[in-house]
Amino acid sequence: MSEKLALLHPEMVLFAATCVVMVLGLARSAVWRSACAWLTGGALAAAFVLALRSPVTDGLFPHFLAYTKAMIAGVALLILPVMSGTVDRWYERRVAKGAAFDALRVTRGEFYAFFLLSVTGVMLCATADDLIWLFLALELTSLPTYIMVAISTPRVRAQEAGVKYFFLGALAAATFLYGFAMLFGATGSTSLDAITIQFRGEGLSTIATLGLVMALVGVSFKIAAAPMHFYTADVYQGAASPVSAFLAFMPKAAGLIVLIQLLATVGWSWGEAGDALPDAIRVALWVIATLTMTIGNTLALLQSSAKRLLAYSSIAHSGYMLVGLIAGPGGTVARNGLAAAMFYLLCYGVMNLGAFAVLASLEVRGRDGEPAEADAIDDLRGLFRVRPGLAWAMTLCALSLLGLPPLLGFWGKLVLFTSAIGAGEIGLVVVMGLNSAVAAFYYLRLVRASMLDERDPDAERPIVTEALGRRLAAGLSAAGVVGVVVFASTLQSASHAAATPNPRYDEFLKVEAPARQSPPAATPTARHN
Amino acid sequence: MTTDHASYLPVLLIVLMAIAFAVGNIVLSRLLGPRREGAVKATTYESGMDPIGGARKRFNVRFYVLAMIFLVFDVEIIFLYPWAVSFAHVDPRSPDGALFLGRVLFFLFTTVVAYIYAWRKGVFRFE
Repeated sequence: MSEKLALLHPEMVLFAATCVVMVLGLARSAVWRSACAWLTGGALAAAFVLALRSPVTDGLFPHFLAYTKAMIAGVALLILPVMSGTVDRWYERRVAKGAAFDALRVTRGEFYAFFLLSVTGVMLCATADDLIWLFLALELTSLPTYIMVAISTPRVRAQEAGVKYFFLGALAAATFLYGFAMLFGATGSTSLDAITIQFRGEGLSTIATLGLVMALVGVSFKIAAAPMHFYTADVYQGAASPVSAFLAFMPKAAGLIVLIQLLATVGWSWGEAGDALPDAIRVALWVIATLTMTIGNTLALLQSSAKRLLAYSSIAHSGYMLVGLIAGPGGTVARNGLAAAMFYLLCYGVMNLGAFAVLASLEVRGRDGEPAEADAIDDLRGLFRVRPGLAWAMTLCALSLLGLPPLLGFWGKLVLFTSAIGAGEIGLVVVMGLNSAVAAFYYLRLVRASMLDERDPDAERPIVTEALGRRLAAGLSAAGVVGVVVFASTLQSASHAAATPNPRYDEFLKVEAPARQSPPAATPTARHN
Repeated sequence: MTTDHASYLPVLLIVLMAIAFAVGNIVLSRLLGPRREGAVKATTYESGMDPIGGARKRFNVRFYVLAMIFLVFDVEIIFLYPWAVSFAHVDPRSPDGALFLGRVLFFLFTTVVAYIYAWRKGVFRFE
């Protein structure tokens, strides 16, 4: 058991930082309080380095941890500057002017602590090898985000979004937990390796199939996929833009990782073809992916709010990633659907963050005269005249989300297409192609509003927030959308290595997993009777 | 393990018993209960105090905070008890012993952090 601790070094660093940040946020000195964000950044950087040095496991995907955790820590580092100025901005200003400090009124420490806890949860999902661990890690990812949504801005709308997100999240958790319970009932074990052995030996029973489908549906809440996507637009719009950017990546990454872990018990390691998912599961995934892409793109067309538009676009992107999962792992970079999904997740994380960061950098004067967050697409109009840099960042990120050739999104989508074609999923490729074409319409609306449209002469000009970090994140993402393309092939081969099944997995299962099924030695039996 | 449908029979039985219990109680009280109407009968607590004011009154937020702090320690005790019972049976020479102790110390440490946080936040100040 204790050798497992070696896999958890990045999580340990993040958790230690969480403990410190939570208390540090209540310090009397403003300097110490402002150190929270820097400490969070330092911990994420340390976790990134430790993640790159993750040991090779003997499980199904030996190199999975290094790529996945480094990606999570990397994107979290990119999200962190957007968070600047999200909580306590007005309160800190009053304290600076001499108001008495009241620890009950600040939320900075909690905010960054929850940020770190959620990232820790995503990483734990990648390390998990047990159903109970998976469940706890998923909840650790989601529970902090409910509070982050509610405290992100003092508006009532954010609290409404937080409550909505919490109740629907609880429903989803109940669904996949029920699915996990059925899997346990059908196989008699919670260890993923033991379940794999069981399924290989006996095949899938009806209850196991039902459990797996329920787990898939429950986890689709985390990635905002079709049967559980209803919350997305309301929550992303209600939360402050920086938190929406966080929600659009972290829970999604956790969901995708858990889907890979769950599906690995029924397929991929079984045959050489790599497309050996059972028919029932494959059909369920197919339906979820098709619905997700179509619903996301169709509803995005109808939006007048940029945040809702990006929310529906994030639903559509989940559908694209599911295409990679259906394609399954293949022998080469171009045919490995899992690697394509993992690489696309990274691309999506960068370009989607850029779009949200531009929105987060802008404020408009609301009807009551108070500055409010930019939300409507019309708020972007004339941006090029005021802030050409931000307008360019929005344009590059939107075009990349659309998948325009030289940009990062294109390379991500390309491997998804080639892997799906390699797996013979022509129907899915057609659906995905049609959807990408539809998506062009609404992404180009963002581009047109920020680059070409003139602002109404009597309308207020968009104001740029003082939070420098948000503009920095927008700039970094836009640079990433162009610059990371240079490293695209390196990253693709890294994701391919991460998602290549272990050829010696069978031997590992024979030796390791039966031992895990029996209770560990330290557990007492009814000896004292 | 093949799915043995007979092994789910107890589950089915308990579901049926639950339904029978719920439906049976409603039907029995309909059949056997005396029926009296009146102003006293219709009050919220029939044989208790007369209610004062509405239920949608605002309570001091400290009640909620205190309840949450209680929950932290309450849950901790629940987890500590089975741990303490099993710790007596761990072989002191086995290497698992240190891990077994380390885990619970880590768990206690997280509670201490929660406690420090609550203290700094001013939860225990009542003025």
